[in-house]
Amino acid sequence: MKKLLIHIVVIAGLFAVMDRSSGMLLKFLYNRSNATDAYKISYANETTRDAILFMGSSRCLHHYVPAILETELGASCFNAADWGIKNIYYQYGLLGNILERYTPQAIVLEVHPCDWLQTPFSGRERAGSLAPYCGVSEACDDMLKLAGNYWPCRLSTVYRYTGSLPDLLFGRWGTMNRELKGWKPMDGQIDTTGVKAEEYPFAVDTERVALLERFMDVCRQHNIRLILTISPMYVCSQEDVFLFARQLAAKHHLPCIDHYRDQDFVNHAELFYDFGHMNRQGAEQYSKKIGKELARLLTDNLNETKAAVPEIAD
Amino acid sequence: MVVNSLAFLWFFVVVLAVYYICQPKRQAQNLFLLACSYWFYAQIDIKMAGLLAVLTLVFWFIGRSIEQAIGQQHERRASRLTTLSVVVGIGALFYFKYLNFFIDSFVAAANVVGLHLSWTGSHIVVPVGLSFFTFKLMSYTLDIYHGKTVHERNLGNFANYIAFFPTILSGPIDRPKPFLRQIANARLFNPDNLTAGFRRVLWGMFLKMCIADRLDIYVSAVWNNYDHHSALSIGLASLLYPLQMYADFSGYSEMAIGVALMLGFKVAENFKRPFFTINIANYWSRWHITLTSWLTDYVFMPLNIKLRDWGVNGTIAAIMLNMTFIGMWHGADWTFFLFGVYHGLWYIPLMVSGQFFKKTKVKLNKVGLPTLPFALRMVGNYLVVTFGLMLFHADNISMFWDILCHLPEAWDGSLFLDMATMVNAAICTVALVWSDVQEEWFPNSKLWLPRWAERWRMELLMATEIVCILLFGVFDNNQFIYFQF
Repeated sequence: MKKLLIHIVVIAGLFAVMDRSSGMLLKFLYNRSNATDAYKISYANETTRDAILFMGSSRCLHHYVPAILETELGASCFNAADWGIKNIYYQYGLLGNILERYTPQAIVLEVHPCDWLQTPFSGRERAGSLAPYCGVSEACDDMLKLAGNYWPCRLSTVYRYTGSLPDLLFGRWGTMNRELKGWKPMDGQIDTTGVKAEEYPFAVDTERVALLERFMDVCRQHNIRLILTISPMYVCSQEDVFLFARQLAAKHHLPCIDHYRDQDFVNHAELFYDFGHMNRQGAEQYSKKIGKELARLLTDNLNETKAAVPEIAD
Repeated sequence: MVVNSLAFLWFFVVVLAVYYICQPKRQAQNLFLLACSYWFYAQIDIKMAGLLAVLTLVFWFIGRSIEQAIGQQHERRASRLTTLSVVVGIGALFYFKYLNFFIDSFVAAANVVGLHLSWTGSHIVVPVGLSFFTFKLMSYTLDIYHGKTVHERNLGNFANYIAFFPTILSGPIDRPKPFLRQIANARLFNPDNLTAGFRRVLWGMFLKMCIADRLDIYVSAVWNNYDHHSALSIGLASLLYPLQMYADFSGYSEMAIGVALMLGFKVAENFKRPFFTINIANYWSRWHITLTSWLTDYVFMPLNIKLRDWGVNGTIAAIMLNMTFIGMWHGADWTFFLFGVYHGLWYIPLMVSGQFFKKTKVKLNKVGLPTLPFALRMVGNYLVVTFGLMLFHADNISMFWDILCHLPEAWDGSLFLDMATMVNAAICTVALVWSDVQEEWFPNSKLWLPRWAERWRMELLMATEIVCILLFGVFDNNQFIYFQF
């Protein structure tokens, strides 16, 4: 028995040393990475101090140009969005971590149907990207508890970076330009042959809706002006896929700026990279337009901007 | 419950603790082990636990009757009882696994000749691990009949042999004699067994989670959408699939052997570096060893003896049947049938040239590695296996045919590369190849370590393996490929 105990203690000790030292090395690489994921997540979680944050998934990442928005809004902006259909599980955890450091004046949340629908391609696992920040905030930990094995394995520093070693090793050669303050431009134009609107024939997920509402409540508690936005798509669904978002915003007396069917952009191939993402030209044009609207909103009385949409059932 | 899951870890920790608390009392230990094995099996397939118990009981009684008949020198009765046991075993396999396949094939054949039958197969759920435990059951009665083992008087011990939880789902297919000999004695707490077993469990987890499941991300992405991928991508996915299969199945076997060792049992080895072989016969002597040796003993050898008057042709016929059985053992589909036939055909040149009957030793160069001609033969053999596994991997014959037809059309497409997955998998595969090369050609060499670390070599390796699993592993609780058989 003594022999076995010695084995166990030595293995556990060696593992702890190796795990911690490897974890430190991985964190070092992670913080220096120019790969989109690693840079966006680490900067948003650890560094940004900007007054206005733009949060959301890839449509936010590619559509909101901080340099233009700063001119329109007269305040510092950072695009904290990340690609990979980062849904509300990720956004809520990120918000928790940011609030541990500072309170931004306003948050612009670009919503996506994956934030409230039971879509099969974006679920709880999206919060896994916050694994390096396990223990930073209660909100982040709550999301990691839902996102697979991160919480049971939280004692391991290495597991927080599981599967990401190649990305971290080659991260310095990533394409994320830090001077763009989180915006990731797309160069090129959509090939319009066979392009169809994306449909969302999925049921509303009560857990995601509750999280969206928690996100809104937290912003209210911290006096953060929250604005929901919906940017244009090249082709639009027949159904009003964003009606739920507008109703939810109205229920919480929040503004929701909907450009989904904005004719200045819809069907303008020269402004799009693919059916859901605008290219550099489209993003710059859109940022100018929404920057003015946001500026008006952020200075106006909130009550005057309540969206005129039917109320959502509780 | 997947063997590499946290749920299994907790289950096993509790089992191990109680198991060794019972250690001075062999009967209590065995009873507890049996209860755990049935509980484990019921977690996966509660309805079929009853079938497992019934078949165990039936074979135990048949085994007892065979021994009595032999004792009373009723040779014919013993032979009939043995035949009955084989009929029951094959019958169970046939009913659960092959009945629908034969009905569908018969209806399809009848339709071809103009007879329009409206028979449809019924919905039959295949019990998990059926192919593995029926082979164990049959080897028990066959071994009693052939005098290789004696009837186990303790039904609990026999039931433990059949339902032993580390091996019931995907083998190794252990023979009755070594297992029953071990279970007759109490397994005493042995720290060396525990550490050696744990080491093998870790290595198995590394193979499964870091190599098999990583490669699966790429292989499945290409294979499941082959019509959208280029010939290069399909070729690469096909070349990686044997490696994925090896890591997956040998990973499971390592874990099963390791868990058994921690419980004090030595279970048969299932793999011996199968890709370091120069022909297909060599390959099958090192791949899924417990299945091939089972079929060699109970199918090939008797057939070969029966057909010996035909000379080499008799051996060819025996091997073709044997390989067809190996193919069909995996499942009821024409792809598995052709997989077996394909491998059987590769034996023919070996038999005609006489290579099958003599052992060819791999020539080594000064460094101790195979010379270039032998290395090339290994590569050639890997390609032969790869093509066979394309058949194995296809859902059905038409999918396999579609892929073959798609290849010339997709020749000019680009190679799909998922760099992160490939690099993760490549790093771990290097570790596997390095380990296999060392075991195959440098069994006495050890990785150099400074003197202070030498004392803790095993602990250091185990801690490194845990860190690697956490860093490179896929934690999606993916099921093992051989679980379906």
